[in-house]
Amino acid sequence: MENKSRIKMSLQNISKSFHSRKETQEAVADVSFDVYENEFLVILGPGQCGKTVLLNMIAGLESPTTGKMLYEGKEYHGVNDGFGLVFQKTALMDWMTVMENVEFGLKIKKMPKEERRAIAQKYIDLVGLNGFEDKYPRQLSGGMKQRVGIARAYSTNPGVLLMDEPFGALDAQTRYLMENEILRIWEQDKRTIVFVTNNIEEAVTLGDRIILLSACPARVKDIYIPDLPRPRDNISTEFLRIREEIEANTDMAL
Amino acid sequence: MNQTKEILKTIGFTMLSIGLFLVLWTFLAVRNPDFLPSPLICIEKLGQMMGRPISRVSLGGHILSSLRRVLLAVFFATLIGLPLGLAMGWSRKVNAFVAPIFEFLRPIPPIAWIPLVILWFGVGEVSKVFLVTLGAYVPILMNTVTGVKMVPPVLLNVGRIYKASNVQILREIVLPAALPAIFAGVKTAVSSGWMIVLAAEMMASRSGVGFLINRGMEAYDVAMIIVGMCIIGVVGYLISIVLTFLERRLCPWKTNLE
Ligand SMILES: Nc1ncnc2c1ncn2[C@@H]1O[C@H](COP(=O)(O)OP(=O)(O)OP(=O)(O)O)[C@@H](O)[C@H]1O
Ligand SMILES: [Mg+2]
Repeated sequence: MENKSRIKMSLQNISKSFHSRKETQEAVADVSFDVYENEFLVILGPGQCGKTVLLNMIAGLESPTTGKMLYEGKEYHGVNDGFGLVFQKTALMDWMTVMENVEFGLKIKKMPKEERRAIAQKYIDLVGLNGFEDKYPRQLSGGMKQRVGIARAYSTNPGVLLMDEPFGALDAQTRYLMENEILRIWEQDKRTIVFVTNNIEEAVTLGDRIILLSACPARVKDIYIPDLPRPRDNISTEFLRIREEIEANTDMAL
Repeated sequence: MNQTKEILKTIGFTMLSIGLFLVLWTFLAVRNPDFLPSPLICIEKLGQMMGRPISRVSLGGHILSSLRRVLLAVFFATLIGLPLGLAMGWSRKVNAFVAPIFEFLRPIPPIAWIPLVILWFGVGEVSKVFLVTLGAYVPILMNTVTGVKMVPPVLLNVGRIYKASNVQILREIVLPAALPAIFAGVKTAVSSGWMIVLAAEMMASRSGVGFLINRGMEAYDVAMIIVGMCIIGVVGYLISIVLTFLERRLCPWKTNLE
C-alpha cells in the first residue's frame, strides 16, 4: 500500500441528530476515524444507518451536532474545495449534456470556457465516455450516468473524493464492471477516495481499509484491512474469509 | 414498412373523423337551414370574406389583430408571472406575502373585470390587452411556482457543493429545471388568452375575430358567425402546434432524444 503515515483528513467524535417536534433521532453517533492520503477507504454500513448523513457532513452540506472535522490538519466548517462528491442518486442535470454536466463545477467557479472544456474532456476520457459528450443523461445507461457523476466530481481536482453508494442502483453485471472501472480510474489518477456502500462483497473488492458501521445510529463497529493484492479474486480463500468475518459482525443481513 | 402502414392508418382515422363531422353538420344543416348553414355555404362565405375587407380590414388582418393582442398580453403576463413565480417558489416569505392576494384574485374571471377595465382604460387596445393579461398570468405564475418547488433538493446540493451563489443556483439550476413546467404554463396562457381576447373583442372592437362574430350577429349572418368560430378553432389548433414545436427547441432534453 501507499505511505499510510500521512493523514489527509480526520473525523473526531462526530455526531448528528435530527430534531423534530416529537422526538430526537440520532443518525450518527460519535464517529472518529482518519483517512490516509491516496487510500481507498470504504465505509460499509447497513441501509438507513446514516451513511449519507455522514458523507454529507464531510462534504459540508450538513453540519455535525458535535465533533470536529479536519482537512489536511486544519479544522473546517461547511463546504470545502478539498472534497468532490459523487451523489447516491446520480444528481445529473437533465437539461445539460454530458460535457455540460462534467464542466458544471468549473463553470460555477467562473473558469473560462475553453479552459474548463479541456479539463472536462480529460475526465470524460478518464471515465471512458469519449464520444458521448453531447448526449443528454436520459440517453445514457445507469452505469454511464454514474461515470458522468464521477467525472464531474473529479473535474474540480479535489483532494478527497466522496462516493455515496455510486453503484447501488446498478444491476449486478454493470456493478461488477464499474467496480473494476473505479479501481482503474483510481490507479490512473491517484487520490484519496472515501467510498460508501452497503454491499460487503463490494467493500472487500475495493477497500484498502473497510470501516464497518453499526445500524442506526451509525457508530464505528470495526475496521478491516484486507491484505489482498489487486485485482482481487472474489473466490480466493482470504477474500471469502474476510467476507464471512464481516458478515458475522454485521448488524443485519445485507 | 410497418411504420408507413401505421402512419397511413392514423391519417385514415383523422380523415374519417373529419368526414363524419362534416356529414353530421350537413345533415343537421339541411333540416334547419335558417339556424345552421351547411359547410358548403360556410366555405362560400369564407371565400367572400377573404375577397373583400370587412370594416376596411382584411380577414388576415382581423386574425392578426387578435393574435397580436394575445401575444402582447402573454408577453406582459410572462414579465409579471415568471419573476413573481420564481420568487414565490424560492422564498417562503415572498410566498406568504403574495399568495393570499393571488388566491383571492385568481377566481375572479377576466370577464368580470370588463366594466372596471372600460371605466379605467376605455374600450381601446389597452383594455383588451389588459383583460387578456389578467387571464394569462395565472397559469404562468402557478406553473412557475410549482416548477421551482419541484426542483429535486439533491440538484441544489450539487450547486452548494461548488459554492454556487444564490443567483447562480437560480440561473443554472432552478430556472432550467423548472423550464418545462414554466413553458407548459405559457402554453396554457396562450390558449386561454386566445379565448379571452375573443370575449373582449365581442364587447367592443373594430377588428379581430371576435368582432367578426359580433358583426355576423348584428347582420343575422349565421354563416359569418360560424366562419368566425371555425377560425377560432383552426387558429387555436395552429397555435398549439407552433408552441409544441417551440417547446422542442427550448427543452431539447425532454423531446429530442433518439
Ligand atoms: N434532514 C433529515 N431530517 C431528519 N432525519 C433525517 C434527515 N436526513 C436523514 N435523516 C434520517 O437519518 C437516518 C439515516 O439516513 P441516511 O440517508 O444517512 O441513511 P443511509 O445509510 O444513507 O441509507 P441508504 O442506505 O438508504 O442510503 C434515516 O433514518 C433518515 O430518516
Ligand atoms: Mg444513503
